[in-house]
Amino acid sequence: MNLPAPSGSSPMITLPTITALIADDEEAPRAQLRAALQRCWPQLQIVAEAVNGVDAWDAFLEHEPAVCFLDIRMPGLNGIEVAQRIQGRAQVVFVTAFGDHALAAFDAGAVDYVLKPVDDERLAQAISRVRSRVQATTAATPPDASLQALLAQLAAQVKRPAPVEVIQASLGKEVRLIRVDSIVYFEADARYTRVVHEDGEALIRTPLKELLAQLDSQRFWQVHRSVIVNHHHIASAVRVDEGTMHLVLHGRPEKLPVSRHFQGRFKGQ
Amino acid sequence: MGDIRLSTSDAQHAGARLAPEGGVHIDTPSGISAASGETASTAAPRERIDWSQLWYPGPSRSFTEAELARGGGDKPSRTVLLVATINLVSCFTALMPLVPAEVAPWTLLLLLAALFPMYQVAMWLWRRPTRRRLLSASLMAMITFVSLSLLLRWLLPDQHLRRWVATTLGTLAMVCAMAFWIITMFRAHQIAARLRELDERDRAIAMARQLATAQIQPHFLFNSLASLQHWVDSGDDRAAPMLRALTGYLRATLPMFNRDSLALCEELAAVERYLEVMQARLGERLCVAMDVEPAALQQQLPPGLLLTLVENAIEHGVLPSLHGAELRVQARCLTSDKSGRILIEVRDSGAGLPAQPQDGVGLTNSRARLAQAFGDKARLTLLRRPEGGTCAQIELPFQQPEPKA
Repeated sequence: MNLPAPSGSSPMITLPTITALIADDEEAPRAQLRAALQRCWPQLQIVAEAVNGVDAWDAFLEHEPAVCFLDIRMPGLNGIEVAQRIQGRAQVVFVTAFGDHALAAFDAGAVDYVLKPVDDERLAQAISRVRSRVQATTAATPPDASLQALLAQLAAQVKRPAPVEVIQASLGKEVRLIRVDSIVYFEADARYTRVVHEDGEALIRTPLKELLAQLDSQRFWQVHRSVIVNHHHIASAVRVDEGTMHLVLHGRPEKLPVSRHFQGRFKGQ
Repeated sequence: MGDIRLSTSDAQHAGARLAPEGGVHIDTPSGISAASGETASTAAPRERIDWSQLWYPGPSRSFTEAELARGGGDKPSRTVLLVATINLVSCFTALMPLVPAEVAPWTLLLLLAALFPMYQVAMWLWRRPTRRRLLSASLMAMITFVSLSLLLRWLLPDQHLRRWVATTLGTLAMVCAMAFWIITMFRAHQIAARLRELDERDRAIAMARQLATAQIQPHFLFNSLASLQHWVDSGDDRAAPMLRALTGYLRATLPMFNRDSLALCEELAAVERYLEVMQARLGERLCVAMDVEPAALQQQLPPGLLLTLVENAIEHGVLPSLHGAELRVQARCLTSDKSGRILIEVRDSGAGLPAQPQDGVGLTNSRARLAQAFGDKARLTLLRRPEGGTCAQIELPFQQPEPKA
């Protein structure tokens, strides 16, 4: 969901605007947070609002906001899983209804959290910390390893249904069952997702961002906002220039783009 | 929240007792007080002498099989056995100088030989300390010693020795009867004390369980308040009905868990308020259908059981589902006659069970409460629906509240 820049922001401000993403699966708490942010941090530009975890992650890749306000309990991916994927490329503030014991781990301050219904005073505190961190962080700052470990540990506690084994693709009147083993990559294609497998191609309606939460993340790697690849089929990653990289596949002519966010995965040993 | 409930419901908890294992003892105060085993004498203003103890001594309380199995399964402790042995040995030692020298070895042999059957009888009384057993044991001891005394009278030549044997055996018979009485009374008091202790512990567990079950999910409460806050702030029309439903839910839920059982229609009222709140919050993501046969409305249930299943379906089925889900609550009688069974189902078309499902606190409590109320006659099952989602089923015997006399 794209929003226009808030009309109240003054054109006189010359500082670079700080962008934000807010994610909550319920409309009213999301609106409440938006209103509180507009009161406490009028300069903040909310560039996207997400209604679940997969949307939040997709919106992050699309907009690369500086700050993400994430609800913890969301369908698709939960807030912690989204934060884990963001890998420190944005400041994360968790917004949650109840201070679980899990949140106590964040009290150290690397990631902040506020409780719902959001209280202006507490939010202002979190904002001042986020602002100071946004100013201190440059692109060269490496992601905080201990924070990543903590997020990974918390994300591992999420009970997920077993990853899908078979993708069902309808082809006219026929429904084709494609084993995930045989799939080479998925590519977002307008309103569909293109499934490229060893014996051909198919189109499915499930959006790529939703597939991401259903697939085994050990085997299927997201390398671009619109590409998920079965890593068994990757032959090599080729760096073209500073910001561009692509993947060469075993026995296939096509090259898959690797966007900046995912290039860290291919760094050689 | 727990504190509030504790203070308002103390009296009820103190009066409530667990039904005996496996039994269906809901709303039967007479059965419950019988299970507690308190005698009427505790209620009497002045202690009265029980004269029957003179001709028929022994514990006035007799234990049922179940009570003995629960509170009397142990053997005497090694300390008790050691002290008893030392007492006996000192008795014998004190007695020996009085024994005429010519029969001393025989007397010692006789006493030692008497020890084994005495021990057996003592253990028999230990296992079941009743008046009847005490009487039999005392009579047995009397008969044995009298016949022994007669036999020795006939065998012994000396008049002096005869008299001595008669006195000794008579005293021994008295001592035996006394010892048996002490063992029986001690043991009966011990079992009664243990049963009281166990009752108290069970009551504490039951109360803790009730409080734990009654806990309102904080995520539910604060998320609802977050929505409400926004709607109040923005003057949205949804605020008032939401507040009404939330209040109704809290009012129905808080006193609900103090009771032993609840009619399905009362439970459904709380479920409906809960679903109204969730419907307001989730909008199109939640689609609710209720389908309850009128004949099932008076079915008695452990309070909060159905609500827990519905909350689980929302928490683990609907909320984690990307495109929302349908929730269906169904109750029907499997057979029409009185001995029939009722099937209550909560189905959702949501996220489905995880790969290795594990019972959470809510489900574990629900199973325990169901077992407490219906024994093995009720079951609670979670099923993976082939079309996606989960189905929670409770099947239980048809039970209507007993008509008031």
